[in-house]
Amino acid sequence: MSKQLVLKNISKSFGSLIALDKVNLTVEPGEFVCFLGPSGCGKTTLLRIITGFEFQTSGDISYGDINLNNVIPQKRDFGIVFQSYALFPNMTVSQNIAFGLTMRKMPKHLIYKRVDEMLELMGLGEWKTHYPSQLSGGQQQRVALARAIAIKPNVLLLDEPLSALDAKIRVRLRAVIKRLQQDLGITMIYVTHDQEEALSMADRVVVMREGQFRQVGSPWEIYKKPKTSFIAEFVGTSNFFEGRKKGGSVIYGQSSLKVSAMDTVDTETVYLAVRPEDIEIVGTTIAKESCLASNIIDAKAELITFLGPVVSITVNLEGKELTVDIAQKEFAKKPIALNDTLHLYFPPDAFHVYSEIFRKLI
Amino acid sequence: MNSTQREDTSIDNYTVSSARMEFDKFIVPTVTIFILILLFFFMLFPLWMILKLSFFKGGELALANFTLSNFKQYFTTAYTLRSLWHSLYISAVTTGIVTVIIFFFAYALTRTTIAGKTFFRNIIMMPLVAPSIVQALALIYLFGRNGLITSHFFHTDWNIYGATGIIVSEVLYCLPHAFVILFTTLSAVDIRLDEAAESLGASPFKVFTRITLPSAKYGIISAAALTFNLTITDFGNPVVIGGNYSVLATEIYAQVTNLYRFDLGATISIILLVPSLGAFMLNYYISRKSFSMISGAARPFIPPTRRFKKILYSTFCYLVAFSIIMIFATVIIGSFVKTWPYDWSFTLQHYKFPSIGGYSAIWTSLWISLIVGIVGSFITLIAAYAMETRKPYFKQVVYFFSVMPAAIPGLVMGLGYILAFNKPYYWFYGTPWIIVINIVICNFTLGILSSVSNLKNIDSSIEEASISLGGDTLSTFFKIIFPLSRVAFIQNFTYFFMRSMTTISAVIFLVSASVHLAAIEIIMLDNDGWTASANAMCTCIIAIVFVMLGLLHLINKWAGGKTSKDVMATS
Repeated sequence: MSKQLVLKNISKSFGSLIALDKVNLTVEPGEFVCFLGPSGCGKTTLLRIITGFEFQTSGDISYGDINLNNVIPQKRDFGIVFQSYALFPNMTVSQNIAFGLTMRKMPKHLIYKRVDEMLELMGLGEWKTHYPSQLSGGQQQRVALARAIAIKPNVLLLDEPLSALDAKIRVRLRAVIKRLQQDLGITMIYVTHDQEEALSMADRVVVMREGQFRQVGSPWEIYKKPKTSFIAEFVGTSNFFEGRKKGGSVIYGQSSLKVSAMDTVDTETVYLAVRPEDIEIVGTTIAKESCLASNIIDAKAELITFLGPVVSITVNLEGKELTVDIAQKEFAKKPIALNDTLHLYFPPDAFHVYSEIFRKLI
Repeated sequence: MNSTQREDTSIDNYTVSSARMEFDKFIVPTVTIFILILLFFFMLFPLWMILKLSFFKGGELALANFTLSNFKQYFTTAYTLRSLWHSLYISAVTTGIVTVIIFFFAYALTRTTIAGKTFFRNIIMMPLVAPSIVQALALIYLFGRNGLITSHFFHTDWNIYGATGIIVSEVLYCLPHAFVILFTTLSAVDIRLDEAAESLGASPFKVFTRITLPSAKYGIISAAALTFNLTITDFGNPVVIGGNYSVLATEIYAQVTNLYRFDLGATISIILLVPSLGAFMLNYYISRKSFSMISGAARPFIPPTRRFKKILYSTFCYLVAFSIIMIFATVIIGSFVKTWPYDWSFTLQHYKFPSIGGYSAIWTSLWISLIVGIVGSFITLIAAYAMETRKPYFKQVVYFFSVMPAAIPGLVMGLGYILAFNKPYYWFYGTPWIIVINIVICNFTLGILSSVSNLKNIDSSIEEASISLGGDTLSTFFKIIFPLSRVAFIQNFTYFFMRSMTTISAVIFLVSASVHLAAIEIIMLDNDGWTASANAMCTCIIAIVFVMLGLLHLINKWAGGKTSKDVMATS
């Protein structure tokens, strides 16, 4: 029923600016793919090329065995959900949902039936005669979803659909979208700059930067094995160290840290990334016996921030700030006070090793 | 879920029609080409005829025929040359006076807490509902040879004819135009800047000269340029109150109608085009710039004004409002009394129009204006939609030609129409249709600009949502864009209708023995000595415009309430 959507060597330039640089991707039928990246990375441009509102400078885009390069947006049968909802303000909820069906010259009675189904599916029944301006943001976005799904699109494209909504509603709608995708088996392409959204919903995440795909993989892979230092920082957060390579260890200040993934780089200067939650505090979260002595460094707690599920502790490590997250439960068992000296343990396999560090954009 | 599955298969049977989409590809290019042809044929072609006639002997385009003799004749004849100096003098003085008056008037309405702001705002806009002749007619009744004030109250021989009369009437005519610009500017500039300066110890005078004036400078220049342009191109007021004091506009008319010197008329048109084009371009350039000055954080709250300042500004505003009311009252009362200013008994005799036009002229004006209103607002909306949303090829070219009409004085355009279309094969020449076309083209700019700014308020995703759902251009326009533009459409209609009812200079060359227009009849009646009937005709126009404004206000309330709120909520 659904088919593969294939992007082949898609490039796009605006004058001298290269927005997309030869990207390749095959989206499987029924797959949920997320384009994740900071603003200006080209993710929206790529989405607009898939919708047909923008044309690639070079490359091919196809759906099944149909080449879409010259197919106008109306004939692509792709549903789109916009960040601004883009509901037609002069039409009621029902009329909005019916619009795509009317354009397909569907008989009236079938339209009514389909609209009713959509209203029921999205839980919008009681709002069907309301105008968009009478609905909340979350309700409006559900109408927009219903309107896009009503035409039974080949692919549903969502352009940061939740970023205009309140945090609570955002989380609730995430579940709604994910469930829709699972139940109806719709192929979805979802654009966002919110890593949490990408990780929680997608089957596959495409991390984009400067018009290129930097890593394509499952949320688990992206989070646990970030390919570049940029991804380690952009998806979740990481602490970075600069050190020198020496055998299977990295010399950092006075310490010589044992690192598991050492063979992935061959430069002498290496950059280590470690997630705040992967650092253990000896005596609090881990017993001394299970540690490798060389990977313990002492540091003073300078700032303690309570974040609910976790407590984030900023420590001063030889003049450098470092963040350590521990579960609130652990913290409750053995509280840490300001200016305490902590023994931090860095498990060898917690390190990601990079030969380069991305220049942090300020 | 099962039912969804079953229904899905039936949806697969319906797709967006390919034939309709093929057809759709031609819509935007067709509209673009149509607008371009319209502007080429009804704007550039007439202008070209004027250029040709002024620079080439007999209007024959050939190198050997190229001549500057027309210009030489104009600049060496003292009698004609003085109209240029007169025009420049009058326009400069008017510009100075209007800018100062309107700056303080707009300042009072935006930055002080005087009472009666709505009243003042409505009164200052009143001159728009009447032809730019009402001022001259009223001033003659008040300060003319038999003026109420000059000869009746003061028994003086002084009268207002000539330069003074033109300047005073032009000032009163230009007020609303300049007001719109400065009011917008002053409301948009953040009042907190003034407060910040005051809190840092600046004296009120310092705040005014160092903060308020500089922050409004683009608005001031823009308002001044517009006033200059309006004054130098106006025909109605100078022809009535100027007497022997000729200006460029009246000189063109005299050369063409009295002396049949079309070549000299064309030459003077070119001379008039230079300063008016300059002022227009300055205004256009500045108003683009001033948009960036408008701060989104502007705060409507105004701190209470000191008592003395309040009295001063209130008095000033009442004086301005009183002058405008006086103009309208004089013309309206003057049309109902037997012999102004001697016999004040009520009469309707001036409404038995002695000229051939009479009431038929009013009806012609009315139906022409209705057509102009509908056609004008519709064409400009479609053109703006095609250009703004669909971004066709030649978009910049279309845009450039669309703003051009505002730079061309109506009288020049009218003369161009005679030169271009007075041929037997242009069937529309000499019919009301040429007047419809002329007025639509002359006012094309403002219609386009307001349609464009309205479309910019509609979220571009709405258009894309329609397209992604299979909407073609026509469905998108008629089902979504047009309903969302209803309020702007009615506003544009109002504008076109008012311009059509009140314009004089654009159409004075186009009325004929069989086509009469109310606004032109005023000049004819006044010219033939039927001044009271001229006032009566003017009153009729004012009455019709007011009735239409009232009707449109009701329609707007009825149709616009919901839509405009929705557009606001989603944009």
